Amino acid sequence: MGRRTAVWGIALAAALALPLVLSTFFIVLLIEIAVVALFATAFNLLMGFGGMVSFGHAAYFALGAYAAALLAQKAGWPMLAALAAAPLVAALGAFVFGFFIVRLTHTYFAMLSLAFGQIVYTVIFKWTSLTGGDNGLLNVWPPTFLRSQTAYYYFTLLIIGTSFLGLYAIVNSPFGYALKAIRENPRRARFIGVNVRRHQLYAFVLSGFFSGIAGGVFAFHNGSVFPDFAFFTKSFEPLVVVLLGGVQSFYGPLAGAFGFKLLEWLISKWAPIYWPLFLGAIVIAVVVLLPQGFVGLLERRAWRPRPTIAK
Amino acid sequence: MDFITSLFPWITNGPLVLVQVMSGLSVGMFLFLVSVGMSLIFGVTRIVNLAHGSFYMVSAYLMVTLIEVMPEHPVSFWIALLLAPVGVGILGGVIEVTLLRRIYRRDPMMQLILTFGLILVIGTLVLLVWGPDNKSVPRPDALAGSVRIFGQPFPSYYLLVLGLSPLVAVGLWLLFYRTRWGMLVRAATVDREMLGALGVDVSKLYTEVFVFGSWLAGLGGALAAPTVAVALGMDGDVLINAFVVVVIGGLGSFAGSLISALLVGELQSFGILIFPAVSIVLLFAIMAVVLIVRPWGLLGHPEE
Repeated sequence: MGRRTAVWGIALAAALALPLVLSTFFIVLLIEIAVVALFATAFNLLMGFGGMVSFGHAAYFALGAYAAALLAQKAGWPMLAALAAAPLVAALGAFVFGFFIVRLTHTYFAMLSLAFGQIVYTVIFKWTSLTGGDNGLLNVWPPTFLRSQTAYYYFTLLIIGTSFLGLYAIVNSPFGYALKAIRENPRRARFIGVNVRRHQLYAFVLSGFFSGIAGGVFAFHNGSVFPDFAFFTKSFEPLVVVLLGGVQSFYGPLAGAFGFKLLEWLISKWAPIYWPLFLGAIVIAVVVLLPQGFVGLLERRAWRPRPTIAK
Repeated sequence: MDFITSLFPWITNGPLVLVQVMSGLSVGMFLFLVSVGMSLIFGVTRIVNLAHGSFYMVSAYLMVTLIEVMPEHPVSFWIALLLAPVGVGILGGVIEVTLLRRIYRRDPMMQLILTFGLILVIGTLVLLVWGPDNKSVPRPDALAGSVRIFGQPFPSYYLLVLGLSPLVAVGLWLLFYRTRWGMLVRAATVDREMLGALGVDVSKLYTEVFVFGSWLAGLGGALAAPTVAVALGMDGDVLINAFVVVVIGGLGSFAGSLISALLVGELQSFGILIFPAVSIVLLFAIMAVVLIVRPWGLLGHPEE
């Protein structure tokens, strides 16, 4: 326990000190890593801990981003209020869609989540009078005191750090253990008195909630929102991040987000149009060669396997 | 009735409705060719091939190149129409043998993720080979114009599609229900282990099915090429449509794909007249309703 506290202490100190030594470019990169890491960790609550793979999770990221942008811009809400509403709107969307989605399993679960995701995308794209359609909403900026990248970095760190603590608490709560039990064996979970569907729905709503936070934080960082946020290719971003980092590890998506964003930066720097090619090749290579992801590889090689719920 | 005619003034225009039905049928046929391949591959290998739309796109681009390199001659178009899907079939075979074969036994999610990776790789390769600009494939001279059906213009090229479609459907039916290969394919969709135990080379069958399914996607893409702008986004568009068709019809069901492709084709054709703004939402809404009521589709079977 002492060692783990030390590791986190050093990580936190580094996170706080980094803006002092890094250029604005890298501060922006770090903000984006934090956003992707939260989105992917929220996604992994479903995939890694609940055994449910959503192919339409960009919808909840986009609902959060658009809620924040619309409330700030069209309703004139202060940024913090708009940002607080983002996860609630995303969670509401996740509740309505999730109610139907969690009734299905595996391939069909993935497909229905994709269908609802594409409905959200289409509505955003077509409802031009509200959302600006293809042009998106521009000039979604934070108030003056958060306008500098360094200030927004610390703000992001606070919001996303708190969200991580929340997600960590959820994963390690009785609810989290019930979720893992459902992942391992839904039938046995039902026999010991777990209401499987209700737990899955709660997990879906929570995952949507935290995806919405990531979306809201990103909207004010980006200064604009676009329908692409909800497009199905965006839904694969957290999937790739989780896959890179390791599926059944809480920290996997965090490591995966660093890897993903650094790769994106390195590759798109010298060959922007090759980026999807490399991303695709990485995904294929990870699936074929590294089923557990990079963190999974480390855990298997360097650490003793953790006891898991009995199969 | 007055209320309906005031809402949809075109409804009393019989010829217009007929032409709309026919163009819906043509759209449905393109969708059928693509989705039946996707459904067939799923039925046998249990892989939902997300790269199926990419195969369709590659075939359309191959048409562009083949027609460019061949001398200008009325026969060139038909040769290209034969060759492009074959090229895509070979591509599918290479992918099956080098990648998919390694992961049949793994979590189905890994297979979905791998084929998603293929979308990105193929999409970028197409961009590198053919460039970012939209291309077009000219219709063969004989089918370049339009004919009049009860006074309404209808593109002649779509008549070719409408004429080919029953042939393709019957051909597939004969293949599946009247040949030994078709019998093996149908057996594999029911019980692959038993088929292997009976001495059938299942691994070879998987490759053949994947090649054949890719060829069908290629045929859809090659046929559709003269009717659309050949562009980089067409892989995603067709994938989503094929997905909807396959889900509504039922994964792995031949008849389900046919019925739902024609249904979706008509829906798109009339959706544009009735609800121009929401026709795509309508499509997904119907898919969602089908999945909620019958998760395995109209003619599919529950997951084991």
